[in-house]
Amino acid sequence: MTRWGMVIDLDKCTGCQSCSVACKAENNVPYGSPEEHEKRQTPFWHKVIAVSNGEYPTVRIDLIPMPCMHCDDAPCVTVCPAKATYRREDGIVIQDFRRCIGCKYCIVACPYGARSFNYKEPEDEEYHRPDPPPERADRGIWPFPHRVHGVVEKCTFCFHRIDQAIKEGKKVGEEVLPACAEACPAHAIAFGDLDDPESQVARLLASRQWLRLREEMGTSPKVFYLPK
Amino acid sequence: MENNKSTRLQRGKSGLSGISRRTFIKLTALAGVAAAVTRFFSRPALGSAVFSPELPGGDGVITEKWVPTSCLNCATRCATRVRVVNGRAVKVTGNPLSKVSEGENCARVNVGLQVLYDPARITTPLKRTNPAKGRGINPGWTEISWERALHEVGERLKALRENGQPERLLLLYGLNTVSDEDIFRRFAAAYGTPNLVSADGLNNEADKAGEWMADGHYTQSAYDLERTNYILSFGANILESYKPLARGLRMWGKIRRERPNRAKVVVVDPRYSVTALKADRWVPINPGTDAALAMAIAHVIISEGLYDSDFVSKWTAGFDEYKKLAIDYYAPEAVAATTGIPADTIRQLAREFATTKPAIAWRGRGATSWPNGSYTGYAIFCLNALVGSIDAPGGVIYQEDPPYHPLPEIAEDDTSRKGKSRPALDFRKTGSFPVAEVVTNRVADSILESQPYPVEMAIGFNGNFNMSAPGAGRWDEALGKVPYYVHVAPFISEMAEYADIILPSTVFMESWAYEHSPPGSGFAEVRLKQPAVTPLYDTKSTIDIIFNMAGRLGGTVERSFAGIGDGAGGFVKYRTADLASWDRLVEQGVWVGPDYKYYKYDRIFDTPSGKFEFRSGNLEALLKEKGEEIDNLTGLPYYREAEFLGDHGDYPLVLTTYQPLLNIENGSQNYPWAQEVFLVMHGAGWTNFAEINRRTARSLDIKDGDMVWVESQFNKIKAKARVFEGIHPGVVGIATGQGHYAGGEWDRGIGVNPNEIIGVDYDRLSGQSALFNTRVRVYKA
Repeated sequence: MTRWGMVIDLDKCTGCQSCSVACKAENNVPYGSPEEHEKRQTPFWHKVIAVSNGEYPTVRIDLIPMPCMHCDDAPCVTVCPAKATYRREDGIVIQDFRRCIGCKYCIVACPYGARSFNYKEPEDEEYHRPDPPPERADRGIWPFPHRVHGVVEKCTFCFHRIDQAIKEGKKVGEEVLPACAEACPAHAIAFGDLDDPESQVARLLASRQWLRLREEMGTSPKVFYLPK
Repeated sequence: MENNKSTRLQRGKSGLSGISRRTFIKLTALAGVAAAVTRFFSRPALGSAVFSPELPGGDGVITEKWVPTSCLNCATRCATRVRVVNGRAVKVTGNPLSKVSEGENCARVNVGLQVLYDPARITTPLKRTNPAKGRGINPGWTEISWERALHEVGERLKALRENGQPERLLLLYGLNTVSDEDIFRRFAAAYGTPNLVSADGLNNEADKAGEWMADGHYTQSAYDLERTNYILSFGANILESYKPLARGLRMWGKIRRERPNRAKVVVVDPRYSVTALKADRWVPINPGTDAALAMAIAHVIISEGLYDSDFVSKWTAGFDEYKKLAIDYYAPEAVAATTGIPADTIRQLAREFATTKPAIAWRGRGATSWPNGSYTGYAIFCLNALVGSIDAPGGVIYQEDPPYHPLPEIAEDDTSRKGKSRPALDFRKTGSFPVAEVVTNRVADSILESQPYPVEMAIGFNGNFNMSAPGAGRWDEALGKVPYYVHVAPFISEMAEYADIILPSTVFMESWAYEHSPPGSGFAEVRLKQPAVTPLYDTKSTIDIIFNMAGRLGGTVERSFAGIGDGAGGFVKYRTADLASWDRLVEQGVWVGPDYKYYKYDRIFDTPSGKFEFRSGNLEALLKEKGEEIDNLTGLPYYREAEFLGDHGDYPLVLTTYQPLLNIENGSQNYPWAQEVFLVMHGAGWTNFAEINRRTARSLDIKDGDMVWVESQFNKIKAKARVFEGIHPGVVGIATGQGHYAGGEWDRGIGVNPNEIIGVDYDRLSGQSALFNTRVRVYKA
């Protein structure tokens, strides 16, 4: 059974944020403004966060790239009253904009802050963009060329790329990656099938000590980190 | 008032090009509804969620292409591929054929989309109607045609030359393509002005002089990052601002976890940069004392016999004097108090550096942008020779130039010869700055003092010195004084506000150019820029503008531009003719030269001794030629206590600045994707901070988030305080890139510009601006 997961090597990561910006471009995620930033309302599907420990001169700050963790036991799925958030068979946790009623329960439930509410008014939609239909797109059609007002959004592991790759018989994790992994100049982000022992992600996890964020919450995230 | 200007700019356009982007999107959204309805009925199989708003003809005709081109959001100029759907650029990725960064890019490539579709772009030539010039004064732009604009500029240029004063033309440029820069040099030479001034004098020159003193190469160093095992960085921010950046990012992954042995990285810097954060060790140092540390490391390596005696005896000169200096004056105990680094730590660093081979001693802006910066750069660079890391795998290498097709000699006349024989406005290569090739910041004072002669006309290409030069306000006065200023750039900026004429240029996804990166890879690589989209507005490429001016000037200037292509496309084709077939270049976008060859010791040292020199024969000879006095120390790398601007008592803190990765280097910051994740270390966007150590902040009764004044003896700025553990207690850190007051809606009024309060000072040899020796005081606003 395929179970998509991601392994982020914090030793290779350079904190450059190529992942976050590539995600915005790939997924048509609206940009914010100083006011939205102040109110923490800027939508991000992917963001690098900084965690500071210690004091000068032995300070240590960790920069952690944060996509959605695509938890096997996802609290957002449990709390959604409209069944707008669900877990696909391949483990990707996805959001159906048409079912979402905008109640934001999932935002509260998510221990990782991975979800954003789209506050944008429809006329603010700066990023209407053309996308080719599936039979022409070499990366798979991006399914939401128009933003939907008043719903919750989040990282999809770029499922449009994955689905298209499978249709075309390409190898996910080698030939085709989510946009953040593809954009990483340090090759710090690996993606693949956690249940396939031959996959790069499985081999990385076998080779090094790894950790997941907020393990104690029992969410079984499918994003793994390799510390320095 | 600023608001009015911007609105007017967008509204005052004619036809389609006059519609602001927002409006344009509204219109296409309406069109999209119509298309969607048609689509819904004609192709229901696609599903109702899928439709394209910008279909030509609305019947499902879709064009998608990937165009190999290159980025210009920093000087690395990465090879890219742009995905264009129905004529609109929607995504940028790397070009796998590029070897410099192995097809990778940084976060800035996708910001390129917002550079292209920036609503603050200038859409047509503009002429000033308000003769008063100054900060906050509305220029009163009015639109004119290209023909009128170019005619007016051409007449001015002609008159100056006919008066026999071509040297009174000043050409300024910021970040432009390599082909643009070649064209600038040619135009300046043909016209007859010695005053072609790049922005390099604000950043890179002391680095270059440091290497030149040792081996005769006036260049930033290339480091064989891929094969190194140890990096000792002196203020080099390899992961944020050092060029070529994408190469640094790619190789970082490689040297950490893609080889059996993981390279170790140590960063010496008063501030905890992203590079320091990602390194294995951060060593905070007292600002401006890197040369003392470098010499103390030399002391340990020499006294403990850890140096590469084979390389030193065969291929270096001056070792005995250098050794004596290091041994006599730079024991770790002797510099511990100066640098703030314990003697044990210095010993440990020195031993690690000398025994973990191959190792690199990497000098960066943080160490060398000081009044004695060339010497500091020299002292650090010499460490590489001590451990044999010169032209060796994993050490310093020598960047090869791409074999562009040579340009013919320019045509000269008496006017051009005479003009170029005049001293340059920036006093390069004179007693003030004997080694300098360009002293960017001096030009503002030269204009104000009319020294050595007045400037009659200036043209600025895509620069923004009114923001990026220390003592920024002087540039306001200086450009206000220039009788006629022409600004060539794609968008309005602080510098553009002083123009009499603005000629809007294309951005890099709309035009032809060729590019290569700053030193780094060793082997040569050329990238093509080609239009990914048709130009959005009534703009011209910089190369085309200069060809046009040359044509209007006639005579030898026009002849100098004959036979080298008749515009941007032709010129690029001419210069790249020897690399590969044009079709192949256009298809691939990248040309990579032969593999790098190491160990060229018999021919790489361009010094009097033909060897690597620990005592600089180049410098001594040059100073003798200029009639300057030389003593025993002159040719040796040594530490001299930095002179600070401001008294320690009144201004107890030292101001340091740094360039975050998402500071876009084209002179604008009007890009939401870059703004909203601007400071990764603070998880903050749309701002910058005055970063203060927690203990210092407590003693000043400043809390995180307080508004504070940061005041030097020259000026003060009001910034938001960030209480930060990652900064030396005697230092205040402010990121560059913010503080715009004349840009677009996404950068105007955001954050502060530290260059407003930094004093004007220079590295004595190279003329590079000293950036970090201004003292400040900080108090609650």
